[in-house]
Amino acid sequence: MSRTHITCTVNGDPVDFLASDDTSLLDALRDELGLTGAKEGCGTGDCGACSVLIDGRLNCSCLVFAPEAEGSDIVTVEGIADGDRLHPLQQTFLEGAALQCGICTPGVLIAAKALLDENPDPTETEIRYALAGNLCRCTGYDKIIRSVQEAAVRLKGVVR
Amino acid sequence: MTVTEDRPTYKWVGTRPIRHDGYEKVIGKARFAADLNLPGQLHAAYLRSPHGHARIISIDTSTAAGMPGVKAVVTGADFPDLDPTDPNFDVSVNVMARGMALYNGHALAAVAASTRAEAAAAVATIQVEYELLPVILTLDESMADDAPLVNEHNITRFVESDGPSNLATANVLERGDVDAAFAAADLVVEREFDTAFVHQGYIEPHGCVVDVGPNGKADIWASSQGHFMVRSLTAAILGWEPSKIKVTPAEIGGGFGGKTTIYLEPIAARLSQMSGRPVKLVMTREEVLRATGPAPASQSRVKIGASNDGELTAIECWFGYTVGCTNDLAGLIGAMSVASYKFPNLKLEAIGMLTNTPKTAAYRAPSAPQAAFAIESVIDEIAQALDMDPIDLRLKNAVVEGDPTAMGMPHPRIGFVECLEALRDSDHYRSPVPDGAARGIGSGFWFNIGEQSSATVNLNEDGTATVITGSPDIGGSRTSMALMAAEELGIDVYSITPVVADTESVGFTDVTEGSRATFSTGMAVVNACRELIEELRARAAKILGVEQDAVTWVDGTAVADGHDPLPLAAITAKAKSTGGPLTVTASLNAGGAGPSFAVHCCDLTVDEETGQVTILRYTATQDAGTAIHPSYVEGQMQGGTVQGIGWALNEEYVFDDEGSMENASFLDYRIPVASDLPMIDTIVIEVPNPAHPYGVRGVGETGIVPPMATIANAIARATSTRMTSLPMSPPKILAALDTP
Amino acid sequence: MPRVHLMSDHRRFTNGEAIVESEGATVGAVIAELEQRYPGLGEALTHGASAGVNGVIHSEPQYLAVDPDTDIYFVAPLTGG
Repeated sequence: MSRTHITCTVNGDPVDFLASDDTSLLDALRDELGLTGAKEGCGTGDCGACSVLIDGRLNCSCLVFAPEAEGSDIVTVEGIADGDRLHPLQQTFLEGAALQCGICTPGVLIAAKALLDENPDPTETEIRYALAGNLCRCTGYDKIIRSVQEAAVRLKGVVR
Repeated sequence: MTVTEDRPTYKWVGTRPIRHDGYEKVIGKARFAADLNLPGQLHAAYLRSPHGHARIISIDTSTAAGMPGVKAVVTGADFPDLDPTDPNFDVSVNVMARGMALYNGHALAAVAASTRAEAAAAVATIQVEYELLPVILTLDESMADDAPLVNEHNITRFVESDGPSNLATANVLERGDVDAAFAAADLVVEREFDTAFVHQGYIEPHGCVVDVGPNGKADIWASSQGHFMVRSLTAAILGWEPSKIKVTPAEIGGGFGGKTTIYLEPIAARLSQMSGRPVKLVMTREEVLRATGPAPASQSRVKIGASNDGELTAIECWFGYTVGCTNDLAGLIGAMSVASYKFPNLKLEAIGMLTNTPKTAAYRAPSAPQAAFAIESVIDEIAQALDMDPIDLRLKNAVVEGDPTAMGMPHPRIGFVECLEALRDSDHYRSPVPDGAARGIGSGFWFNIGEQSSATVNLNEDGTATVITGSPDIGGSRTSMALMAAEELGIDVYSITPVVADTESVGFTDVTEGSRATFSTGMAVVNACRELIEELRARAAKILGVEQDAVTWVDGTAVADGHDPLPLAAITAKAKSTGGPLTVTASLNAGGAGPSFAVHCCDLTVDEETGQVTILRYTATQDAGTAIHPSYVEGQMQGGTVQGIGWALNEEYVFDDEGSMENASFLDYRIPVASDLPMIDTIVIEVPNPAHPYGVRGVGETGIVPPMATIANAIARATSTRMTSLPMSPPKILAALDTP
Repeated sequence: MPRVHLMSDHRRFTNGEAIVESEGATVGAVIAELEQRYPGLGEALTHGASAGVNGVIHSEPQYLAVDPDTDIYFVAPLTGG
């Protein structure tokens, strides 16, 4: 199959790469751009380990064909820190031990960021439903939820 | 929350620093198995059996070999045939079939090509001639008198046998006289139970990249719970020397026991050798579910006798586990150990039977969850019948130090009573059960193992330290190593760099399993630090011009009367002049692993119209001995609990009549998600293990043992219906409620 | 004389005796001695058992030293996940 030339923005940088029409955005990010933060846990959109933001919306990149990304603005876990300053979610995940093996963590961070970008004051239930598309087998989700709650507090600028 | 016995005050042990490997993991830089790409690498794909059981008459890969991009093709013929009595025979057959497809999903051939698509296209052209054979899928089918053989090479372990059969193992433990005790008991409860196959469900599929050079040296990058095991099994299956194989551990995306064996590496190595190119081999999720080890399904009969005042006098159990297509032996022992109670009269019998399903693998406390579901349910029924509080009933019968285990040896110092008391006194248990809800209690334990570990501690010129171990970090253990080293050396935990090194750079270390890493590798780290401190005292003595006996080590400093203290950095700066580099390696075959007990409590509701169970509140207590890093101890407790909740309420393999798994995806093999659950509250009990310098007990496995009974016991109290079949999914609950 | 505690499966070699006395300075020597007296038992213990001694379970106990008053419990091999 011939490969299409795709141009888009990833983590704020203009990028371009080649991909055949049946290549997923996930594989393009990982194999063409070397951004291996997004992971393949299932390849069928059921685990969320491949979560990225496309034009601000949460997506499973394994379900997006690479050519569909033409012209869009993609954010992966590699792009949510500000230089060497971690995003509050990344910081609270570390402090709150919200990761054990870490394989689901990039996807969870992206999904949590999508939530907080839209809803800065979520209830515990809202957090749980927003993350229901991200499977974690190590943590039982408890420390993940608590870390998202703490990040929400910090993002609002309230110091406890 | 932690409940602690009197113990020393530690400066570092028991604190919660950010883990050393955390930053890479939150910025997406940590490298897991599939994250490595080597120049010129090929991608490999498998041909897997579409039949549950078949003789392979012929495999024709000639077309595949000529397809675009294809550089190598292998079948069973490309691997040496081990003798059936070789301990690695079963694994060698499982990674690539030899003349027999033993389950739907069994690897029959593999192709390496320039792209995944080319490899898959080539696989599709492989022609196989099969002679279909009867498919055995259940315990009853396997045990039937005239049952066909699942695996013609299976000889029963541990007992005499006349030849191949479907019986994998049989174990019996007894003490006292159960018949007399039952006859004398005031109350006897007997129930039958069954559970389904469940998968460990790690989010990262198995993966590796293998590069075999022209000198026959293999470089393996793989995610595994034990890279020395990867080396030895790969060597055994290929007939290569282990010294020709180097394994570098990738970060591992979950294991839970499922990555204590291998599937891919010998295949990738052979393809790499044949093609002269690196080979990347990663399983799809479907392959993980169709072809990697689940935990056995089971049936059981449990009979318990008690006196009217709640003394549990006798227990008789029969457990039958279906263990897949080849022998799974040691896993059955967990069932043997479930007697957490004094039971003066005991008879426990467990068998393993073969089925044409994937070879089972360990899943946290292998075989104990199935047994605990049954035993803890019957104990709860007895509590109900005697109108006794379920915690009080357990307290009355709980084993303490000196009581015999089911296997006869006396228990060492253990914390079962402490866990029961902590739960009884907890806010959860003292709160009233919410309206419309019901509460269940369950307990469990795992004895944990020690085994071999090595550790090297290098002191750097600036007074920092590098701690090198060989235990893949599946839950934060490398920071626990750093905490113990910090405590020993008396330096800041961030002055320590913990490293998990490859098979050429650290001494032999057994697999991270059996909850052994913090215990056994931790001991090696402590021993290395203590030896290093002796050397530091000697160096300090030289620098200060005193006898070594005059020097003590306090808080990272050499202290001698009449001299200013000499901090570690001052000594390391003079390493060369005082004798040379400061480095020590310690290794051991650790004994004295302490059992970890747990008691769980759950409040839930049952919707009697839909059969849906909603967990409102869950508390887990567990004895960690000493929680080196409490956040990661809590994490193990919470993770194990939620896996148990999934096992209890929803997870199961669904096979069609021919042994094809019908739900081989995360859509239909549905594990718990965040919206299914409340917070999982933890109470960490610390009854130090006397055999470990910091009192550590392994904690990784016990958490999965209590949840199924805990939930079943709550459902029984919510609905007056005792669920005896897992999973307790909505259709099954509705059916049970409808049954008079 | 170290005392050896046998699992049910192994008592078939000893006519049902659950506890037998043996001799030897190591677990390996004890097993060899048992094989002499109860043919087949030594083999079964070597390949199908771990040894519990003084509260510690050893998966490869052949060189483990034992005293005359030691209790040796032969248990099925342990594992984990």
